[in-house]
Amino acid sequence: METLSVIIAEISPLARLGIIGILNSLGYPLTIKEVIHADKLLQVLHKDQKQILIISSSFINAASPEVLQKVLINKKHAAKVLIRDTCLLLKSLAGFDEIIDPEDHEKVITRKLEKLIAILSASGRIVVQNDEISDREKEVLQLVALGLTNKEIAEKLFISSHTVITHRKNITSKLGIKTIAGLTVYAVIHKLIAPEHIH
Amino acid sequence: MQIQNNMKMASVIHLNYHLLPIISRFGITLGFGDKTIEQVCREYTLNVDFFLEILNSYHNKDYFPQKHLQGFSLKLITEYLHKSHEYYLHNKIPQIEQLLHRFSESDQSGHLEVFQLIDKFFNEYRQELIDHIRHEEEKVYPYVLMIEAAFQAKNTTPAIVNLIRDYSIDHFEHEHNNVEDKLFDLKNILIKYLPFPFDVHLCHAILIELFRLESDLNDHARIEDKVLVPKVKYMEKWILEHINA
Repeated sequence: METLSVIIAEISPLARLGIIGILNSLGYPLTIKEVIHADKLLQVLHKDQKQILIISSSFINAASPEVLQKVLINKKHAAKVLIRDTCLLLKSLAGFDEIIDPEDHEKVITRKLEKLIAILSASGRIVVQNDEISDREKEVLQLVALGLTNKEIAEKLFISSHTVITHRKNITSKLGIKTIAGLTVYAVIHKLIAPEHIH
Repeated sequence: MQIQNNMKMASVIHLNYHLLPIISRFGITLGFGDKTIEQVCREYTLNVDFFLEILNSYHNKDYFPQKHLQGFSLKLITEYLHKSHEYYLHNKIPQIEQLLHRFSESDQSGHLEVFQLIDKFFNEYRQELIDHIRHEEEKVYPYVLMIEAAFQAKNTTPAIVNLIRDYSIDHFEHEHNNVEDKLFDLKNILIKYLPFPFDVHLCHAILIELFRLESDLNDHARIEDKVLVPKVKYMEKWILEHINA
């Protein structure tokens, strides 16, 4: 099975363990590489582009300009995520696909990473062959089966309609079910909704 | 192996029994003894060339004589499409319905609500298919035949030109899809997700019928998309180019 490849470039062991814990809770099969020293980063960056790089600003501060040039300017990965842990002298946050802030709640971080992975896999930039649907996808599926529109689902889950559509695409490709009526049958079989709640 | 007009009708069935429903939709019944295709067609006053092209395109998926088929009149083609509609509505759908009904009655798992949902699901599918077929029979085919009649009579009067501008076969191309999604889902639900225990043999029988229906519908759609639509488009274009001529 294809695994999701993630590189975590972070000096603090607490932060590394925290990120790994959240990544594991997403339910994807993972290959995680941890990088602690800035000069080792180039070695783990793979030629293929299907990796997600999660890098902290303290790591960036410790790295030499030429490493940064190679890592941050070269588009070698599917996506870059910044952990903004210290005051950073980066000119711009452009080039990062997602920013994680120190005060972010665990749920917020989960949502950010899920959204990123959903977008990357829907656009084919990473291959996630996980047929299990994630907890978030289950929530979306539940609401779809109850007959809510994308807009209503977005409001209910505090996510954008665009993200709802992305989740729905992934649900359909994982389950092999395209229609709302079909998804409803699936949801009842898996006890995600009770039959009497179907409109 | 291509089916030829001097082949025995019985040998065709031995060669490929999947052609049975196709033959029956031309009104031909069993008991043809040693008659050849040509003889049977004469007896039933069928166009033997058209019959052969249809048989061959169902028999061999790679054999699709688009150009040959386009040589036949739209009247002949729509008559055939109409006959396959009748077959879906009066044979295939009731047959699957009966199987599904028996299937839910055989339930001993206490998953009655799941079986009921599957019945409901198939009902919705049936209704969509009926609507789709009705639309083709009431709107599309009459339009197609009018265009053919106008084309043959070189009729480019404002009435027919307005008709083309109001409808045009392009619409049909866009309307035409989606029904198959439900069929696909139903198959997958039975294959992947139905909770045990259930009558496995009955489930297999249903699946086989669903696959057959799907394949028949695909062949049907292929004739519409590759034969009917291009032919009508050509005629529409000719008429619009010869306005006032």
